[in-house]
Amino acid sequence: MEMASSRISGAISGAAIDAGRIVAAIVAFLVLSSGAWTNARAAGGAPSDADQACLGCHGTEGLKKTLASKETLSLHIQGKAFAKSVHSAIGCAGCHSDVDLAKHPSEQKIASAREYSVAKTEVCKTCHEDKFKLYEGSIHASLVRGGNPAAPVCTDCHSPHEVSPKAVYQTMASVPCKNCHFEIFEAYAGSMHGKARSASNQSGAPLCADCHRAHDVMAAAASDIPRNACLVCHAGALEAHQKWLPNAGLHFEVVSCPVCHAPTAQRKVDLMLIQSGTQQRVAEQHGIPQFESRARAADAQGKGLDAMELWNLLKTFNTEGMNGRTTLRGRLEVRTGAQAHQLADKTRAISDCNLCHRGGSAAFQSVTVSVAGPDGRPVRYGANKEVLSSVFSVDSVSGFYAIGATRIRILDILLLLALASGIAVPAGHLAMKYAFRLYLKRVEVEKASASAQAEAQPSSGDRPQGGDATK
Amino acid sequence: MERIYVHPLPVRIWHWINAVGFVAMILTGVQIRYVGLIDMMSFKLAVNLHNWIGFALIANFFIWLLFYLFSDKIKAYHPELSPTKHFRASFRQLQYYGYGIFKGDPNPHHVSAYRKFNPMQSMLYQVIMLLLVPIQFYTGILLWDVKRFSGAVEMLGGVRVVDTVHVLIFIFFVSYVFIHAYLGALGHTPSAHYKAMFTGYEEVDDEHAHAQK
Repeated sequence: MEMASSRISGAISGAAIDAGRIVAAIVAFLVLSSGAWTNARAAGGAPSDADQACLGCHGTEGLKKTLASKETLSLHIQGKAFAKSVHSAIGCAGCHSDVDLAKHPSEQKIASAREYSVAKTEVCKTCHEDKFKLYEGSIHASLVRGGNPAAPVCTDCHSPHEVSPKAVYQTMASVPCKNCHFEIFEAYAGSMHGKARSASNQSGAPLCADCHRAHDVMAAAASDIPRNACLVCHAGALEAHQKWLPNAGLHFEVVSCPVCHAPTAQRKVDLMLIQSGTQQRVAEQHGIPQFESRARAADAQGKGLDAMELWNLLKTFNTEGMNGRTTLRGRLEVRTGAQAHQLADKTRAISDCNLCHRGGSAAFQSVTVSVAGPDGRPVRYGANKEVLSSVFSVDSVSGFYAIGATRIRILDILLLLALASGIAVPAGHLAMKYAFRLYLKRVEVEKASASAQAEAQPSSGDRPQGGDATK
Repeated sequence: MERIYVHPLPVRIWHWINAVGFVAMILTGVQIRYVGLIDMMSFKLAVNLHNWIGFALIANFFIWLLFYLFSDKIKAYHPELSPTKHFRASFRQLQYYGYGIFKGDPNPHHVSAYRKFNPMQSMLYQVIMLLLVPIQFYTGILLWDVKRFSGAVEMLGGVRVVDTVHVLIFIFFVSYVFIHAYLGALGHTPSAHYKAMFTGYEEVDDEHAHAQK
């Protein structure tokens, strides 16, 4: 906020002014009303006479204004810096044509520095309409519309009185993204991209806008944009992977690049709700948190969705009357934006299949279910890791399966039973055969001894042998 | 004992390639599924072997199929159309393996060139060769390149459905190879059927051999 305030330190009226400034204001009025209002800067890069008149007051260090929000807004303009700015050509009045010099400085209160910055974007639009259109479709603009006070407007990235040529924004030292995304920028600076960029300051290695775009910045985790951005430079990546990676195309689809190329990152699975007809993510509407409320309702224990709860949640999206079928599409990702930027040299990239495919792999311990939020960013809800290995997953997570790692546990039990029966049935049968053989042998021996006895008895006594012989 | 030629050469070639191949598929399959728990070979080698052996087995299947399609020996697979007869004969066979064999009773089934399978075998082999093996090959091909066959995979309900079917049949075959190998040792000598599967000739009692003629 403070940063934003300093950046809009423009010609704002209403400050406490002394007599000298009144004189300067009169001079400014006379100069401007004489037709020099729209003139360019004076020769030699010095401010024009008109701008000099404004700077008569606004060039005074410490000039400030207290806003309705009780913030203090600096009204001081660095004359020299402004003269070097690309905007010096249009002069102060180029952007501040709304200033009524007859009433300047005005007593009109400004609600807040933020409100002023947001309102002033309309001024930028008058000249930079193409860029503004791109910006309007960005996640940044979406957040501004949603009332996010930290979301950037034009002046947050482009200091209005010191607007530099485009090339200045494309250096690691001056790239404005890092002012808000500092942690991510630090990760980037330590990555192979950042190191290559800073080593030679060459434009070959990408800087923020090369992947995320400058004005039409999209929510990175909500689309294929980051991966597609990788493929713009690494166009032969798929062919290179196909040489050694089985099912390379499928890996490209379900594994985000940093999962392997940021070897120190932690991994997780995101199960995205997809409309099967359009293949688009289910999107949450503004003010109707349908997904979150349904997920909360399904999560009875509040400990994250278990396999059955996820299955039930999916059913709520597939009740009668719903437009098309909703399914879950899984994707292996890294856990944070900063980790996604810790890209290492390809010699350090993970190529060990076991790391992900072994049972209990760390990559599959964290699971979320998500939809696209109203601003395009994903809205996630936690799920238990068992959702990937339960028998319910055959239906609910039918499209996501990492061989070995997310295998269905009940099938392991069936395999053990099959193995046991494969060994036990022959072993049991063999044992029975052996036992019968012993038994039959014993019966035979007994029979033989009985018949021997029978034969022996008549010779010893000539006693008649019951009634059997007659039967 | 008289010798009857019951296993023609193509069938023997098919059988032994199949036997070695299925054992290899089970071992590599176990390695793929239980990587980290079992360490016979690397995951990647197991996947590549599983793929290549799988294709070899599919080609081998056609040796079996074409031989029987163009040979009168297919009669061995002709089903018994009378269910009463079939189940009565199956029950007799089951009774023999479950009890009679222990007492030394004779095998109720008498092998001949065109009736080499007992009623239980003929039923089981039809299910295996015409249902389970083709399904296993089909699901295996889909899993070999899920992206290429994504349409078919989606139609079947997703990769997990395809994989679960593949694994269930794999589980069946794990049990089957043990029991099949054991039943093969229940001839008039433990090695009789094994020898026959190499030479093609089964040894049968003279009395039954003449009766067949």
